[in-house]
Amino acid sequence: MSADAAPARPAARPGPRVRLPVAELRSWAIFGALAVAAWEAASRLYGQPYLLPAPSAIAAEFREHWPLVLGYAAITSQEIVVGFLAGALAALLCAMVFLRLPRLVEDFLYRVIVTLNSTPFVALASLAVVWFGLGLQSKIVIAGMYTFFAVLYTTHKEFISVEVIREQLMDIYNATWWQRIFLLKIPSALPIIFVSLKGGVMAAVNGAIVGELFGAFEGLGYMILDSRYVGNTVRVFLAAVFCTAIGWLLLGAVTLAERLLLPWHVSMAGRR
Amino acid sequence: MTAAVTAPIIRLEAVSKTYDLPRAGARGAADRALNVVYDLSLDVQPREFVSIVGPSGCGKTTALFMLAGLREASAGRIEVCGRPPREAVRAGLSSVIFQQPVLFEWLTAEENVLLPLRMRDARWWAWPARRGRYLAAARRALETVELSGFEHYYPDALSGGMQQRVAIARALTLDPQVLLMDEPFGALDEITRDRMNLELIRLAEARGLTIVFVTHSIEEAVFLSDRVVVMSRGPSPATGSSVVRVLDVGLPHPRQLALKEEPAFFQKVREGREALRQTQGVA
Ligand SMILES: Nc1ncnc2c1ncn2[C@@H]1O[C@H](COP(=O)(O)OP(=O)(O)O)[C@@H](O)[C@H]1O
Ligand SMILES: [Mg+2]
Repeated sequence: MSADAAPARPAARPGPRVRLPVAELRSWAIFGALAVAAWEAASRLYGQPYLLPAPSAIAAEFREHWPLVLGYAAITSQEIVVGFLAGALAALLCAMVFLRLPRLVEDFLYRVIVTLNSTPFVALASLAVVWFGLGLQSKIVIAGMYTFFAVLYTTHKEFISVEVIREQLMDIYNATWWQRIFLLKIPSALPIIFVSLKGGVMAAVNGAIVGELFGAFEGLGYMILDSRYVGNTVRVFLAAVFCTAIGWLLLGAVTLAERLLLPWHVSMAGRR
Repeated sequence: MTAAVTAPIIRLEAVSKTYDLPRAGARGAADRALNVVYDLSLDVQPREFVSIVGPSGCGKTTALFMLAGLREASAGRIEVCGRPPREAVRAGLSSVIFQQPVLFEWLTAEENVLLPLRMRDARWWAWPARRGRYLAAARRALETVELSGFEHYYPDALSGGMQQRVAIARALTLDPQVLLMDEPFGALDEITRDRMNLELIRLAEARGLTIVFVTHSIEEAVFLSDRVVVMSRGPSPATGSSVVRVLDVGLPHPRQLALKEEPAFFQKVREGREALRQTQGVA
């Protein structure tokens, strides 16, 4: 036996195993408690609750109006989740379809997307409300659009930049187009796709809120707009807190999916 | 060994390669053509071990890739197992080992090894039912490269030598007759390389493989091979071919490390070096 082959550990499958990240949660809890305490203190020292309401005041507002707030949060979450999933799925499909298109068409579509990508989304978002109405639909479309562009650009780029030698390996084994996609391109792009999905989650949150600001009867964005008109800063903050919480939860869900799907990835080293 | 009793399993007849990709600073069409391999002819017998050596950039990889059907020859004829190279490799008659292991880091060692079997079967829905049977084949292949116990490891957790062994196991899953290897051990330390060389000899013997082995080490070539083809960068002035010399090694089989201490071995290495030195005058 040479040094090279000596098994240092017994062979164990470093398979997908997700443990509750206790230490991580604990440090977040401590950070959160400290931040809230500092905020409370700052608000009281500042003494202008209209400009900077204290966390205790926000909590009181929530206790008083929780059925309404939770209802709005549920609506906004729905817009975000549906928009995100639809946008992400559409982006992945689009990236795959791109690979099937003739070079010229692909180039053209690519330019269209880059152009759209650099258009200020807010302008498009206001149009979506005109086109799809004041209900959930327009918000889902906006959240989906935000996600779509965040994911498509990156995924397409990853798909076309697979190492030549890996493609050659696929040549050697006579792989079909679908096998190339599912056995090579998607798995090798997944780590980066997840990075873009995390960006996509936050984009979807922004998209849904922006949509609601442009016109809605319900939802957290509507609550922000409505409360600001009547000068209820406490409620604006309450809505912002819920938006952040929704963003975090979804980010957590994507991260969990990442840990389950990419046990092999370098960024997971030390976690397995 | 060169006494041709049987028909050659690999034939190269007057093969040349010209790359015509634009290079930086290229102007006219003539500037865009880059001749790499000139008039290469070579017959390889079944079970023969042939090495190709030469200075870097002389077209060794190009020649091997043409044998693997990964590059089209610009002129001449190539046959592997009686077929065009691309067909031979796709039929699993020949297989390639690259300079790097080229493993998929999201698959465990055994999953990497059974990839060729998996790709043979276009019906993905039938895959789960077959997986068990194929896994057994993958495990056997890993056993032949002495990697039992590492089936569930991801490539990241394996050393360079072990990764290259997984690549060899993968190349063996379709039970090829011909193995085409491009500096497979070039990135390994000397001790590991010696060990891999011995294992390769044992494998070739046990499975009756025909091997074309590219290396830049004349010692490695002499140690492993029945014949060593010395290539130059550009055509040799005498023959107009990329091949400067084909060296018959004629050392006893099976090769053992002790051989490397013997005068006969030194002698062959020296002959090879001299041939290599001739290549240096050529552009
Ligand atoms: N795909 C390619 N397109 C253009 N030139 C290439 C290509 N591949 C290799 N070459 C050129 O061909 C020459 C020989 O390359 P290669 O076969 O890799 O040599 P070796 O393996 O002997 O080092 C080099 O000058 C290299 O730049
Ligand atoms: Mg090379």
